[in-house]
Amino acid sequence: MGLLDKLVKHLSPGGYGQQSKNAAKERLKLALTYDRGGLAQGTIEQLRDEIIQVIAKHLTINEDEIEINFDRTTEEDRLIASIPLRMAPRARMKRGQRIEAS
Amino acid sequence: MAGRVITVTSGKGGVGKTTFSANVSAALAELGKKAVAVDTDVGLRNLDIVMGLENRIVFDLIDVVEGRCRLQKAIIRDKRIATLHMLPAAQTRDKSAVSPDAMEKICAELRSQFDFTIIDSPAGIEGGFQNAIAGADEVVIVTTPHVSAIRDADRVIGLLEAAEKHQIHLVINRLQAEMVRRGDMLDIPDIMDILAVELLGTIPEDESIVVTSNRGELATLHATSPAGQEYKNIARRLLGEEVPMSPLEEDTGFFKWLARLFKGQ
Repeated sequence: MGLLDKLVKHLSPGGYGQQSKNAAKERLKLALTYDRGGLAQGTIEQLRDEIIQVIAKHLTINEDEIEINFDRTTEEDRLIASIPLRMAPRARMKRGQRIEAS
Repeated sequence: MAGRVITVTSGKGGVGKTTFSANVSAALAELGKKAVAVDTDVGLRNLDIVMGLENRIVFDLIDVVEGRCRLQKAIIRDKRIATLHMLPAAQTRDKSAVSPDAMEKICAELRSQFDFTIIDSPAGIEGGFQNAIAGADEVVIVTTPHVSAIRDADRVIGLLEAAEKHQIHLVINRLQAEMVRRGDMLDIPDIMDILAVELLGTIPEDESIVVTSNRGELATLHATSPAGQEYKNIARRLLGEEVPMSPLEEDTGFFKWLARLFKGQ
């Protein structure tokens, strides 16, 4: 690394792009949630697939935009799932009109 | 006398358990308390060399456990501080040579003779760790601002709670003020938020730790060592004194900065 690079790195916050401590914190929080629950981190993918299966039986969902996250605070751990629905065609739409998934 | 038995542990290796045990024992002794540092890292003993007492070992922890000598005979008295003592681990045996029961008995005996028994635990969460915590009244978890050390610390906290050890203190070691300022190192509040245990102290990254341990000296006896001063503060807090947490201090002088730049740090 040249002297100029060092100078730039020294003067700019987060010399390696974004402040890396935020990444550390987010990744740790997620990993610890799994560790504490005795879960494997792959569990979330499995959970996602199974939730899709169950809900898709009754509703049309937008699979690409599903978000499933663990949220940890000192008081509780919470599983948050956001599942956007693909709306059924409205009556005022003309028959035969195609609806694009958003 | 009913002293306190405090185990120093971390899960991860290399975070500074042994340096902490040596220096806090010395700081407590300097404050007039009768203190003994106990090495439970059987097979990989290091507390002796860090404290500069490696040439004085005749008997060790396993000799006591197996009845070859009395506890009194295995304990080494430090020549620098009259109230400082050390009980070494065996180097040629392994962790299975001790049991949690045996450690509890030894801790009970030490508790009756010393104000403070500081037990330096081996890394890991297996037998050696279980031995080290068996007789503990309190536990100090040493961690660093690195994801690996914090994850291991969290695991250890879980195991301690399962073992009914509820008096847990946290020490954050090797903080680098400059990296924290840049946002490239987890800060004290970040780590407290993640681990949620009581903070006993923070220790800055400090070259004098390497220098003093090279010589078998104790950083806490050097007034110019920033880390050494923090070990002293920690000892005072253990004695119940209200010592405010030191702010992270950076070398802000222009020439120091320039020197660092050229040194490539």
